[in-house]
Amino acid sequence: MSPAALLLSGAVRAYELTLRPVIGANCRFYPSCSAYAREALACHGAGRGSLLAAKRILRCHPFNAGGYDPVPTPKDS
Amino acid sequence: MDTKRLILALAISFGILAVFTVVQEKFFPHPAPSPAQTVQQAKEAAGTKQAAIEAGAPGTAQSAPANGPRLAVDAPMLKGSIGLTGAVFDDVVLKGYHETIAKDSPLVQIEGRRGGDTPSYAQFGWTAPDGVKVPDNSTVWTPSAQTLTPGSPVTLSWDNGQGLTFQLLLKIDDKFMFTVIQNVVNHGAAPVKLYPWSRVVRDYQPKVASSWVLFDGPLGVFNGTLKQEGYGALKSEGEKKAGGVAYSTSGPGGWAGITDKYWLTAVVPTQSATMNATMSYGTVSDGDGGAYQTSFITQTPLDVPAGGQAGFTSHLFTGAKVVKILDQYQSQYQIPAFYKAVDFGHLYFLTKPIFFCLDWLNTLTGNFGLAIIIFTIGVKLLFFPLASYSYRSMGRMKAMQPKIAALKEQYKDDSTKLQQATMELYRSEKINPASGCLPMVVQIPVFFALYKVIFITIEMRHAPFFGWLHDLSAPDPTNIFNLFGLIPFDPMSINPILHVGLLPIIMGGTMYLQQKLNPAPADPAQQKMFQFMPVIFTFMLARSPAGLVLYWTCNNILSVGQQWLIMRRAMAPKQTVPAKG
Repeated sequence: MSPAALLLSGAVRAYELTLRPVIGANCRFYPSCSAYAREALACHGAGRGSLLAAKRILRCHPFNAGGYDPVPTPKDS
Repeated sequence: MDTKRLILALAISFGILAVFTVVQEKFFPHPAPSPAQTVQQAKEAAGTKQAAIEAGAPGTAQSAPANGPRLAVDAPMLKGSIGLTGAVFDDVVLKGYHETIAKDSPLVQIEGRRGGDTPSYAQFGWTAPDGVKVPDNSTVWTPSAQTLTPGSPVTLSWDNGQGLTFQLLLKIDDKFMFTVIQNVVNHGAAPVKLYPWSRVVRDYQPKVASSWVLFDGPLGVFNGTLKQEGYGALKSEGEKKAGGVAYSTSGPGGWAGITDKYWLTAVVPTQSATMNATMSYGTVSDGDGGAYQTSFITQTPLDVPAGGQAGFTSHLFTGAKVVKILDQYQSQYQIPAFYKAVDFGHLYFLTKPIFFCLDWLNTLTGNFGLAIIIFTIGVKLLFFPLASYSYRSMGRMKAMQPKIAALKEQYKDDSTKLQQATMELYRSEKINPASGCLPMVVQIPVFFALYKVIFITIEMRHAPFFGWLHDLSAPDPTNIFNLFGLIPFDPMSINPILHVGLLPIIMGGTMYLQQKLNPAPADPAQQKMFQFMPVIFTFMLARSPAGLVLYWTCNNILSVGQQWLIMRRAMAPKQTVPAKG
């Protein structure tokens, strides 16, 4: 992982361990938005990973069915 | 439960607690208002007394003598005096604000005399480009009256002996604003060019620590943009630059000054004039040796024709940052973004409306605690439809229990697979108990804005709730570690962490209840944090302003109530249908 991606990933992990227990788990997906974000950062780097995570959070609302929604695999053939 | 794991969890949570203490110390400074500021103000008051004794001491040679003749100032909301030696506004006491919640405690003193420990003042003067004799710090001005009041303006004058009479036409209104006209009468035969200036100076660094929630220090609005330069940054920048100038800019009008959490001293030049503004740091013989200054000087000189006169008008604010009063001055004198003296922050589009809402509720109910509670209920009601929507299908959830039980049986050794399958089931059955991350993400800025409003605004200062809570801006004064005062000893003398009041304990309890209703996360590390969060939060919030803890408690209770209500509503109709056909 690039330093930027590592930093972002660390921030997400910090959220999981501090803020999330406070506000409760509210995710409608598997993997949860934070787990999705960390995986996306690891597979796609800081830029695209952040974008994917942001798009996922925007999907995670009561009017979306939720369910299983894995991180897309990188298409760098 | 496995003892080893329990011990590990405990160790982790205490480790986190320890880290939080450090973090809190740095970022959520101990509701600084009361203790730190009181000490500072007490010092200020003491400094004034000391100044009287030390007047004329060699160390103060460069500054104006602290004593000497003074012009008394008496207005409805402030009183004090202006030092006629150097014409310094170095003695302002706010009539409406006491240092502590005790009614007989000293009034808040926001300026301090030169020569004392905490010199803090405003001053107006002129710079002459070509050797014209202008008034300086040792100039003794002659007042036209003994006392400055809203009904009776006073003119200070001084003749330079070279045909120029310098005048300061002083007015004060019924709140916190002085009007200062710097007038020069030219009796000579030649025209004179002068640059009027104004400055706010603090010859010491206050002990109140800045934090990321709260700014205090030199600030101003230049070209419509707020500039905040903390004491530390100003000092380190100033020490690198010539003349100690850390920041300079020019533009039309604006305002500049130095602020504390609740108090502000600021100069406001004529808004149509083009001003050069600077923020600087220098060494002086007063106070603790370092002087922080924000100043204005006109970019083009004022022409004083032979046999004529010319004046330059400024305003000087020395008072409490009451938002309504700041807003009033902003429109009265067209001061750009004067309300930004209150540190509403980058989220001001959220913090300001929230503030007005709370302030309005406060005037309605007469109690800031009630205002916070009503506001919390309002926010909950606003988001209720969203939460309730996600629980709409809770009834069918119950009918689906057998399927979930079957999945649990199928994947009993693989929690990841189980979660994945459960989520898929939710999707195919079109039900999902969680309300989603987006609503949470939307709510977080609102929570933070409210936190900030409660933390920064003077309207909360010394605002009582009920019972034992006499000041919502200070931490709950009770402490469980001396059994709420039964044992006469202060546990904080051992470690400042040993302070947990009754309200924070109630908060912790409600948080635990709320968590009970939520499913625990699958990640074991998160699960541990989840368990100990109520404890950690109780300790963390114990030292925050009671108003915040009240908000948090109220929010938890409402969350529990909401969940209970929704579950009941969702489950009730189904219960009338016989479960076994």
